[in-house]
Amino acid sequence: MRLAALDELAARVGLRVGQGVAEARACLPDLDIIEADEAADARLLASLADWCGRYTPLVALHGDNALFLDVTGCCHLFGGERALFDDLAARLFHMGFEARLALSATPGLSYAMAFSGRQQVLPTGEEAAMLRGLPLSALRLEAATLDGLAQAGLKRAGDIMNLPRAPLARRFGPDVLTRLDQALGREGEPVSPRLPVAALSAERQLAEPVTGEEDILALAEHLGGNLEEVLTQRGLGGLNFALTLYRVDGKVVPIAVRAPAPLKAAARIAGLFRERLAAIHDDFDAGYGFETVRLSVLATGPLAPVQPDFASAGRSDLSLDDFVGKVEARLGGGVIRVPVLNESHIPERASALAPFSRDLMVSPAASHWPARLRPMRLFAHPEPVEAIAEVPEGPPITFRWRRTFHRVSRAEGPERIEAEWWIDGEAAHPRDYFRIEDQGGRRFWLYREGLYGASQLPPRWFMHGVFA
Amino acid sequence: MANAALAKANLHALRQVVAAIEEGRQHTGKLEEASQRDEAAGRLALGVEAFDARLEGGLPVTGLCELRAALTMDAGAATGFALALSSLVQERLRPERPILWISEREAGREAGLAHAAGLVSFGISPSSLITAHPRRIEEALWVAESALQTEAFSAVVLEVRGNPAKFGLTESRRLHLKAREARLPLLLLRQAGEEEASSAQLRFLIEAAPAGLRRIDRYSAPGTIGHPAFRITVEKSRNPAPFAFTMEWNADDRQFCLAGPDSLSGAVHASGTAHPHRSPAASADGPDRTDQMGRVLAFSRAS
Repeated sequence: MRLAALDELAARVGLRVGQGVAEARACLPDLDIIEADEAADARLLASLADWCGRYTPLVALHGDNALFLDVTGCCHLFGGERALFDDLAARLFHMGFEARLALSATPGLSYAMAFSGRQQVLPTGEEAAMLRGLPLSALRLEAATLDGLAQAGLKRAGDIMNLPRAPLARRFGPDVLTRLDQALGREGEPVSPRLPVAALSAERQLAEPVTGEEDILALAEHLGGNLEEVLTQRGLGGLNFALTLYRVDGKVVPIAVRAPAPLKAAARIAGLFRERLAAIHDDFDAGYGFETVRLSVLATGPLAPVQPDFASAGRSDLSLDDFVGKVEARLGGGVIRVPVLNESHIPERASALAPFSRDLMVSPAASHWPARLRPMRLFAHPEPVEAIAEVPEGPPITFRWRRTFHRVSRAEGPERIEAEWWIDGEAAHPRDYFRIEDQGGRRFWLYREGLYGASQLPPRWFMHGVFA
Repeated sequence: MANAALAKANLHALRQVVAAIEEGRQHTGKLEEASQRDEAAGRLALGVEAFDARLEGGLPVTGLCELRAALTMDAGAATGFALALSSLVQERLRPERPILWISEREAGREAGLAHAAGLVSFGISPSSLITAHPRRIEEALWVAESALQTEAFSAVVLEVRGNPAKFGLTESRRLHLKAREARLPLLLLRQAGEEEASSAQLRFLIEAAPAGLRRIDRYSAPGTIGHPAFRITVEKSRNPAPFAFTMEWNADDRQFCLAGPDSLSGAVHASGTAHPHRSPAASADGPDRTDQMGRVLAFSRAS
């Protein structure tokens, strides 16, 4: 067991990261040791990354203790680079984090500066001068490469910046030059954001934190109004929306809703969030209030402008989308489903309940397939039954299903359905389906899986559906 | 259970009396007005004269009606009857709007899920049906209520399993009033349920009945299973005497007819629309055993 991290006090006493626990205890007998929880650390870093979303949508995680924020084009919203930097530093300090920040033209240089304690905003043009004085260990290189460089007496970035490039690459690998070029901006280094970047978003920072659901919904509608104009100009409607609430104490509450059809009216967007909020009511903790509210459109779809006609026909279509959006916002996606026909002979594949979408409400693709007699309701998992057949390949004469004994009065079949070998494999058994009416007049769909004599095991009988 | 429901009914009656005294009969006046409006909204004739006559013209097309299957085994028949009724409502009154079938998850697990190919062979286009699968009964009731507030559907089918305590007289009355306000039929499909006091205007007990034979022109093929048949007992209606019918649903013509040998011959009415793409049954769906041809004789032993 080794030390993974130290607090200020332990560091001052002289303990080191990587030291054995026994050794550390010998130095300091009353040392408190808490087991490292990497998952919890990762969660904390991720929640911090969410919180940093208030500055820029492009937040990336790096390793287990660093965050990259691409603030290109965001600084003017906070009054300049310096102001953003100070604001971030102050807020992190008040939340109790000891953070090292640096802002420069490239992610590599910012990391190197923060790593070596140069916490500042670097003016453009001074990159080379700054990098010259930084240690090579700040360049995100492998430990083995660093050792090799150190053996050659190269400790600072300035030592290698003017060396001939080809021998350097040959001796220490291509990483050294890549990192150097990335830090100096000669090679681009994209920041890959942790969360998908919204197509559009509108934000409101509040002087007074809000707690009430009604206030939040009013804000959502207001923000939706801001977005509506842009969406109209682009001829788009939003499909997925996210309302991000930044709580005063640093917690970020994301609320996501999905619309069944492209949507841009602010009142309807707010209506979706109203249902979602009602559904998560118990888990929704406003705490001391939310200081920033952001509405983002994550996915968009084309929304052609419709000219309303005099009789306002087509109103019913609108209300169907509204209904589906409302129900799915409250009860979760996939509650509303549409039966669709697929091109397959296997009954459970031939028909599926697909999540609602407008396209499914028009003519189904497989509707030209020959109509066969199929049960009205199909069991998701065929239920085993004990059946007795008069002759091996014939229909059953009696069967027991769900502890009830049925005597067959009439049967139609068999209808043999072979397995789809391209999905199920060659070994799958064919099924012989029988349409059966018992003496009470109930109509069932039974099948026998497998053939007599084909394998050691006798064929088994299953109940697959009920007819009307 | 029955006592509690009875007590609720009494309480409701008393409340109405109090309301009548307080509001100068405004409340009951409103109800009477609503029921008069219902009469105007009309009834859906099923095409079976004897049945329609007993129901004063057919199924009321607004408000709550209950279809009860006593056993889970009969859920197929009850579902078929409910969907047949709603598709008739859709066809005759609001052809462009879909049917909503709300089915509690539990009900779907016990009796199976809607099968698109089966709907086609029952004479219902799958694209005219939307299903909802809420987890709990409260959610199912909420979905039904929301559906009645929109103008998106032609009929709403609410399927519940058993007699849930959370769906009592109050809830059924509320749904009935909402359905009447929305002028939509709300069919309560109760699988494996007992008789229970509710605000439904009608309650049918649906059981499966042996189907007739499959008919090709004027000949019926022996041993085959023809059009689905239902035995329908009217348990609650304005007509005091309970009565029962056995009806068949003709999926090709999309209409009901009385079952029985004599009604079979005159089954085709002029009013029904023929199903556009149905052909006579393919050979795979024939009888399971061939009829005996000629006589079988015992051959003398060849020894």
